[in-house]
Amino acid sequence: MSETADAHDAPTSTGIDHKKLIMWLFLASDCMFFGTLISTHLLYRKLYPSGFTDAEGHQRFIQNLFNIELTSFSTFILLMSSFLMALAVSAMHKGEIKSFRRNVLGVIFFGLIFLGCQVFEFTHFYHQGLTIQNSVLGSTFYVLTGTHGTHVAIGVLWLILMYFYSFTGKLGGHMGALDVEVAGLYWHFVDIVWIIIFTAVYLVEYLGPNGFWGTGLPAVTK
Amino acid sequence: MSHDSHHDPVACKTELAPERSDLGLIRPDRTTGWTDWLTTVDHKKIGILYGAFAMFYFLVGGVEALAIRTQLARPDNDFITARMYNQLFTMHGTTMIFLGVMPLSAAFFNFLVPLQIGARDVAFPRLNAFSLWTFVFGAFVLNASWLFEFAHLAGWLNSFDWHKALVYTDFAPANGWFSYAPLSGTFGQNGQALRFTGVGTDFWIIGIQVLGIASLAASFNFICTIINMRAKGMTMMRLPVFTWMTLITAILIILAFPAITVALIELMFDRAFGANFFNPSAGGQPVLWQHLFWIFGHPEVYILVLPAMGIVSEILPTFSGKALFGYPIIVFSGAVIGFLGFAVWSHHMFTTGLGPVPTAAFSLLTMAIAVPTGVKIFNWLGTIWGGRVRFTPPMVLSLGFIWMFMCGGFSGVMHSSAPADSQQQDSYFVIAHFHYVLLGGVLLGLMAGLYFWFPKIFGRMPNAPIAYLASGMVILGFNLAFGPMHYLGLAGMPRRTHTYHAGNGWETWNYVATIGAYILGAGVFLAFANLAWTAFKGKKCSSDPWGGRTLEWSLPSPVPEYNFAQAPIVATRDAYFEDRHGGKRIAYENDGGEAGVHMPSQSWMPLVASTGFLFAGFGMPMMAMGVPHAGWIVITGLGVLILGIWLWAVEGPGGYMLKTPAAAGSPAPAETVAH
Ligand code: HEM
Ligand SMILES: [Cu+2]
Repeated sequence: MSETADAHDAPTSTGIDHKKLIMWLFLASDCMFFGTLISTHLLYRKLYPSGFTDAEGHQRFIQNLFNIELTSFSTFILLMSSFLMALAVSAMHKGEIKSFRRNVLGVIFFGLIFLGCQVFEFTHFYHQGLTIQNSVLGSTFYVLTGTHGTHVAIGVLWLILMYFYSFTGKLGGHMGALDVEVAGLYWHFVDIVWIIIFTAVYLVEYLGPNGFWGTGLPAVTK
Repeated sequence: MSHDSHHDPVACKTELAPERSDLGLIRPDRTTGWTDWLTTVDHKKIGILYGAFAMFYFLVGGVEALAIRTQLARPDNDFITARMYNQLFTMHGTTMIFLGVMPLSAAFFNFLVPLQIGARDVAFPRLNAFSLWTFVFGAFVLNASWLFEFAHLAGWLNSFDWHKALVYTDFAPANGWFSYAPLSGTFGQNGQALRFTGVGTDFWIIGIQVLGIASLAASFNFICTIINMRAKGMTMMRLPVFTWMTLITAILIILAFPAITVALIELMFDRAFGANFFNPSAGGQPVLWQHLFWIFGHPEVYILVLPAMGIVSEILPTFSGKALFGYPIIVFSGAVIGFLGFAVWSHHMFTTGLGPVPTAAFSLLTMAIAVPTGVKIFNWLGTIWGGRVRFTPPMVLSLGFIWMFMCGGFSGVMHSSAPADSQQQDSYFVIAHFHYVLLGGVLLGLMAGLYFWFPKIFGRMPNAPIAYLASGMVILGFNLAFGPMHYLGLAGMPRRTHTYHAGNGWETWNYVATIGAYILGAGVFLAFANLAWTAFKGKKCSSDPWGGRTLEWSLPSPVPEYNFAQAPIVATRDAYFEDRHGGKRIAYENDGGEAGVHMPSQSWMPLVASTGFLFAGFGMPMMAMGVPHAGWIVITGLGVLILGIWLWAVEGPGGYMLKTPAAAGSPAPAETVAH
């Protein structure tokens, strides 16, 4: 899976592998990407703090909609997957391919749980009346969290391919460990972004008596 | 690793024994002709392809511009319809910026950066090919909208049911190069997704998106290359200025493009899936589009100009016989421009009513950004000052660059004053401003670069008399065309209007501008034709016809596949020049020779993967406009993309060893040179 012209023999000017460097650059760019999406969501929350109107014409508050326990659970799962990813990377560095496989399977499994929760959440919200079309809130919420979900899905796909690739025996040595480490960087980043989204999109809605944006529900009721 | 021990070193890649990739397919390494160009991973060939496409699109954009100018030559003219006029100026702007200037800059990045830093390739050769083909397909998609427009005008589409869904107002994009919402977006409640404009906007959205991917991939690659693949002794402060400006440009691209990527996704969701990001009837804020666009858009103008500044910073010292005056300051001011470029976007939005504090802040910051720009101009003047100036064609064009760009800077500073700008906005004054910076600045700089490096690229010298004539025509025609627009703008002539009535006092200067535009067009055409002729038939020249300063001039022309037979070690800035004039400053490592140097294998996969964008690019606009089953084309495209990337990953980088002229190895150079 190595790409560079002569990565295995030529030392780089900085000592950082090309692949690791390019992943860092991609992540810098992705920061701006998510930054823009998150700003869009927050700007519209500030502008329209009071939620959305569902199909029956009822005013709905975002705190009624969110299932914060479920989202906290999936957040926790994603965090734990990062932990397993770190174990997988370190296993690879030690050349313990079996332990790598075990941990990577764990990451994939946790990633899939997270995605499952998101699918559940989306369908649930949809039935509660929040659609991409009926409000600005729906548009920003689904596109922001959906884009993050796509990142997770790409990560899962990448790791699945890597898992199977490891059986060909070609995922080994320094280059193999590097490939896994780069995938790990990506995974950790996607995880960190979720922590930010979870805070900025979910948790702040529960701050103070009226929610962070001022005119949320007076008291959070289910 | 196993793959490069498959072969003994060969003198020419056509001698390679057949090698199978890890996938079992025979690698297209031994090919020549078309296959070679389609599968190449050689940064020099990729650069030439970028350049050829860019020059082609410059001519396309030029024809569009001349149609616009023909229409405006006379008051109340009806040479083209208003509908066609909108499509023309939109495609003109979009073409010039995304398909002309950016890829021509990319051509220089590709060809020069590895040579200037003493490397044998870029960090990710196949990713580089992917960027090229993605650009090519993005450009196809954008221009494919013209095919629909012409087919519609000819009535060929009438027999299809779905034709009705496509007809709104336009087939080619027609919202201007910044596609402001709500015009580009939707209106109406709850997912009705009524649109102001037709399928052209969808072509624009997906086209720019694909081009953005190409730029991003290329930028990651070049930052990696510049940071990581410098020859020994090539410290950051010894990098040629062109390479520095490439680095800053690439950083701007990776930080600025995400804003437009997101904006385009949001707009696409509005149009295709009835979202409400910019839909005013559902509470969306069209002004958000303006912010997101210009957060990208202002850095973009520096993405356009910094490479040209880098080119000029190489040419002026060469033909003044002096080192660049104030190298660290030029580099630093480039970085400051890049940084401040992110803090001035709202100067494009003074008239939206930002409020007094933001308006004042953006005004001040915009004035501030003129300072590092001015610093550069003074440094260039300092470089020429007291030098033995040789007025070769590239030098003439570079001097034209300084002069014209400076004029554009002056009108730019005028815009920075918000009260003044509210008079100038959307008038021909703004057109004059950005053509002075973009055409008088960037295009002259890029043309100077073409005339400067063509002898290196093809080993042939462009015809000088024709070059002088063309340069003269370009500079004269340009000033005739755009100088009067300052006046027209201040006299109230609005931008983007397909005609004007007689009696406003605009007739004369419009007529003059059109004449100038034709002279300019003929000049650019002549300059390009001269170059095209040179590439095949020009007179052969030595490897260093100008007395160059940087490493690329130390190589034979045309440059061999492996670039450097032995890897260079440099002891100073401008090492090649100093080495010839001031004692030993370049040494060579003891590599290459019979043992050969490692070359990356060619591959079909970047091309295959980027074809996915072609499908997605055609399918997406059809889908947005409700053509049945078009969604499947998009899905096919994504499938092709993923498949291509997967095959690319598992085929492995491959590689072979290429013999180079005998390895000598040479003693280390003296450490430094005083500047
Ligand atoms: C001294 C530096 C510069 C200053 C102070 C400056 C200032 C401005 C301002 C305030 C505007 C907005 C005018 C309006 O719409 O009312 C503007 C427009 C524009 N500038 Fe500059 N500028 C500078 C350099 C450049 C450079 C280097 C480029 C590109 C190479 C450039 C390209 C453009 C373009 C394309 C527009 C028009 C955007 C549109 O379509 O509305 N400018 N400039
Ligand atoms: Cu600007």
